[in-house]
Amino acid sequence: MAPPAQSQRSPSPSQPSGKSELSDLKLQLRKFAGSRAPGVDDSKRELFKKVISYMTIGIDVSSLFGEMVMCSATSDIVLKKMCYLYVGNYAKVNPDLALLTINFLQRDCHDQDPMIRGLALRSLCSLRVANLVEYLVGPLGSGLKDSNSYVRMVAVIGVLKLYHISASTCIDADFPSMLKHLMLNDSDTQVVANCLSALQEIWSAEASRSEEAPREREALISKPVIYYLLNRIKEFSEWAQCLVLELITKYVPSDSSEIFDIMNLLEDRLQHANGAVVLATVKVFLQLTLSMTDVHQQVYERIKAPLLTLVSSGSPEQSYAVLSHLHLLVMRAPYVFSSDYKHFYCQYNEPSYVKRLKLEMLTAVANESNTYEIVTELCEYAANVDIPIARESIRAVGKIALQQYDVNAIVDRLLQFLEMDKDYVTADALVLVKDLLRKYPQWSHDCIAVVGNISSKNVQEPKAKAALIWMLGEYSQDMQDAPYILESLIENWDEEHSAEVRLHLLTAVMKCFFKRPPETQSALGAALAAGVADFHQDVHDRALFYHRILRYNVSVAERVVNPPKQAVSVFADTQSSEIKDRIFEEFNSLSVLYQKPSYMFIDKEHRGPPEFADELGNLSIGEAEDNVVPSQRVEENDKDLLLTTAEKEETRGSTGHSQQASFGIDDLLGLGMPAVPDAPPSPPQLKLNAKAALDPSTFQQKWRQLPVALSQELSLSPQAIAALTAPQALLRHMQSHSIHCIASGGQSPNFKFFFFAQKYKESSNYLVECIINTSSAKAQVKIKADDQSTSQAFSTLFESALSKFGIP
Amino acid sequence: MPVAASAIYFLNLRGDVLVNRLYRDDVGGNMVDAFRMHIMQTKELGTCPVRHIGGCSFFYMRISNVYIVIVVSSNANVACAFKFVVEAVALFKSYFGGSFDEDAIRNNFVLIYELLDEIMDFGYPQNLSPEMLKLYITQEGVRSPFSSKPSDKPVPNATLQVTDSYEVLPFGMPDLKLGLNDKIGLEKESQLKSRPAKSGKTIELDDVTFHQCVNLTRFNSEKTVSFVPPDGEFELMKYRITEGVNLPFRVLPTIKELGRTRMEVNVKVKSVFGAKMFALGVVIKIPVPKQTAKTSFQVTSGRAKYQASIDCLVWKIRKFPGQTEPTLSAEVELISTMAEKKSWTRPPIQMEFQVPMFTASGLRVRFLKVWEKSGYNTVEWVRYITKAGSYEIRC
Repeated sequence: MAPPAQSQRSPSPSQPSGKSELSDLKLQLRKFAGSRAPGVDDSKRELFKKVISYMTIGIDVSSLFGEMVMCSATSDIVLKKMCYLYVGNYAKVNPDLALLTINFLQRDCHDQDPMIRGLALRSLCSLRVANLVEYLVGPLGSGLKDSNSYVRMVAVIGVLKLYHISASTCIDADFPSMLKHLMLNDSDTQVVANCLSALQEIWSAEASRSEEAPREREALISKPVIYYLLNRIKEFSEWAQCLVLELITKYVPSDSSEIFDIMNLLEDRLQHANGAVVLATVKVFLQLTLSMTDVHQQVYERIKAPLLTLVSSGSPEQSYAVLSHLHLLVMRAPYVFSSDYKHFYCQYNEPSYVKRLKLEMLTAVANESNTYEIVTELCEYAANVDIPIARESIRAVGKIALQQYDVNAIVDRLLQFLEMDKDYVTADALVLVKDLLRKYPQWSHDCIAVVGNISSKNVQEPKAKAALIWMLGEYSQDMQDAPYILESLIENWDEEHSAEVRLHLLTAVMKCFFKRPPETQSALGAALAAGVADFHQDVHDRALFYHRILRYNVSVAERVVNPPKQAVSVFADTQSSEIKDRIFEEFNSLSVLYQKPSYMFIDKEHRGPPEFADELGNLSIGEAEDNVVPSQRVEENDKDLLLTTAEKEETRGSTGHSQQASFGIDDLLGLGMPAVPDAPPSPPQLKLNAKAALDPSTFQQKWRQLPVALSQELSLSPQAIAALTAPQALLRHMQSHSIHCIASGGQSPNFKFFFFAQKYKESSNYLVECIINTSSAKAQVKIKADDQSTSQAFSTLFESALSKFGIP
Repeated sequence: MPVAASAIYFLNLRGDVLVNRLYRDDVGGNMVDAFRMHIMQTKELGTCPVRHIGGCSFFYMRISNVYIVIVVSSNANVACAFKFVVEAVALFKSYFGGSFDEDAIRNNFVLIYELLDEIMDFGYPQNLSPEMLKLYITQEGVRSPFSSKPSDKPVPNATLQVTDSYEVLPFGMPDLKLGLNDKIGLEKESQLKSRPAKSGKTIELDDVTFHQCVNLTRFNSEKTVSFVPPDGEFELMKYRITEGVNLPFRVLPTIKELGRTRMEVNVKVKSVFGAKMFALGVVIKIPVPKQTAKTSFQVTSGRAKYQASIDCLVWKIRKFPGQTEPTLSAEVELISTMAEKKSWTRPPIQMEFQVPMFTASGLRVRFLKVWEKSGYNTVEWVRYITKAGSYEIRC
């Protein structure tokens, strides 16, 4: 109901006159309060309606509480209902006044009319005032035994409400066992269903507190209860059926004949008009047969038709909910759906959230027999007005190319995309051609001819630019003017904002140098010089590393930077199978739509501070998909660059103490390395502000803006690993060292944290990204700082704080 | 738990709360502000109907000029929640006389409060069936002045309308049985009566769903649809067919771009159903570029005009006989734009129509039996009609 806060948000322009209207209403209500004259009810109805309408638009009418209660002494049900509504809305904020209503509500609980009994009981339980719970127990007890099912239905939910106001009162009054009795014996199925909802909620909440709760929870999914519910399932309302079906998914049948019995009994539910019932049934079928491989396959075949029907009926929102589930199944068993690919074709007017899922499904079900048609269809979408969808379609074509053996026709199409002369199409096609070449190097000849014609000026997006540069480096042998294109790119080094592009540029120019040294030498020199001077840590380190390895031995450098490559056979999956299974277990819930297990978005402890949680993933520079298992990104980079190990060593070395030394060595290539300022002398002891505060959006903004000041890998002690069962443990520990956490996430073995700290009595901030892998006992730390000069000191502090973790 | 909705909000397009109900205390009262800030006032609106903000999930739907938002804090069953909203809106509509919009809500807020109390308790869906609710709802819906009240006079007949769905208009509580020419049904019947299946076209249905009132067990054993219809018009069954669908029309478009400022559009529509039948209300929408300046038409049947608001040439043919092929030829002049030429991504041609006495699926009603205990005569009607759902032709 309209929270009173509403009025503050949008102060009604008629507020002053509203006040006088309120006192007017008050007077009129008083006038009618004791009156029993005929026709007075009609006038009261009008008045009540007015009050409710004020309440709805957010005007605070709580000052009328007394008068409303006085007027409630009526037999008119319409008035009563409006009065209950009013009382329910304001009781919580006026607990003292709520006491006034108890009397008449309790009286109404004994009314002759079952509807009034039910309504009064519902309102009584909805007051949500903790010190009034003693008045609830009596009416609830008699409500549960009422002869009318409406009253019982309300009473059952009332018990649940009572539990949420005061759990102990509810348990002490022995209501749960009464609910259990009702659940197994009541003639009205809505009462039964409400009992089930209430008991499930009560026992899961009690699980940690009482010993009997787990036992009671088990009892709910015991054979007698399940069979009892199954036998009555057709009497239940469609909503209650969903509830019962969900419960059945938790039941473990003793043998396979039992499984078949249940499935036979429920098979007709797949024809139900309510999609939610169908989906709940699908879940039962999938869960029951999980251990029976062949039957599980047959289940897929059986549930396919109803799901496809559901997808194409109802509103886009409903369709989306079902489609997400179908998407999950398609990803698990694409071959089952490969002949149904036409169902996943996009319609022009469908919302993009539906189209996006469909595109992924089309990609997944593509096989030898349908590829041609699917790719033809996808190419139609590439000209779509909705640019994001057009791009997704192009990517889908690329993905299909990567998963098929016969890529002949697809490559031609991709190359056609390159010639379409739309920037975004070119950009995506470039990335795809790059991936394609990594997997099928034999296509290089055809692709390079086309890629060579693309002017690098038309490619602006970092990913596409990086892909183009990669190809320039990799195939510089075959591309006539590769060194010169690279050279012109290096000339514009300072205008290149993306670190990824600059990194690729470094590597590409190296590769080019090994193949065509005379033409590239000067470009390489310029690139290394620019790279070493770069403010971005990774670029700087890579340039430095290249420089050193070149000085050490050019042929070793070639072996490291440009070894003969093996074609990539499988690209890294973005989600671990463990997580996928978790999501599958939580079929028919939000997990499927969010594509993450529920603990990632439900448990308070995993969420981090609210509002920030969903941005956590995006924070980690660039790649949005890597928030689940960060280590995979590293793997990808490995393949990409084949450098990481060497690089890491380098990184670690240079961040420590040897920074100065590295610059002292003569320039082997005679390229004239610019002088780099010495590392700052060890700064004075740093003191942190214990009560630092930083709001998430500022953090994000800073994280984006600031360059990485330090990046290192720390080892963790075994005690620390043992202590790190959940992210909170570390949070508390770091807090005691004045390092505060702003967001955290992940699960064993990978945890990810974002910390911040503030310099004592200054507003200079330090931001830290810390990725901990408990199985390797390593922490990867990236530090960014407002004041770069003190980042080393902060790093030392952070390291020592981390090293004390787990040691009592 | 299927849905434990913490709150439900009805907002207008500006984000003002029309009606709301907080069922649970596990979400704050500022949830609607979060919705406004993070969804309504951003580009995110319409990008996904399910969003996670600040630890709560928001499911939202727009129906006419109203947003309906459900807030949950648990891992809820989304399909169930959306279905609930759809059903609730249908229920409201039946009370408001068919319309559901901001005005209808403002006029009926007390009724909505009453309904919201009955159809959901503490976030769990309760009773949504109109018959049950009649017992508990005191308010009458305020209908908008333009819609007439339907007559409540008893009409003892049953009209069965075969579209891509079935509707039944019965009276009383008769027991009905329906036989179709679908493959499984016929096979089952010939099996039961141990005589060979009659020759003739049988239709293979990919999938069927039924209204709650249909006895599903009986359908599975006997393959006939038997049911006791509820009051009012309802959708009895829905089926899906992919193979052997007879489309009533064939559309042959040719669109030529002549230079930068002219286009030539030729569309021929062939009706491929029987010559004695005719389609009604045929509307063909042919998209043209935004910078269309002038159009001229020639049509052999119906009327055509350029509708700038939807960037389409709209060609209407009120009565379209079978086995004919009217054509439209149009010349479109475009304003030459100074800006870089944006290539036009030809959206598909859309078509609306109704063809009475025609079923695209070929499904026929073989019999409709009515058992009525009270003894009055029933008149059974079967009406076939094919309506275009989403009928699009790429050009």
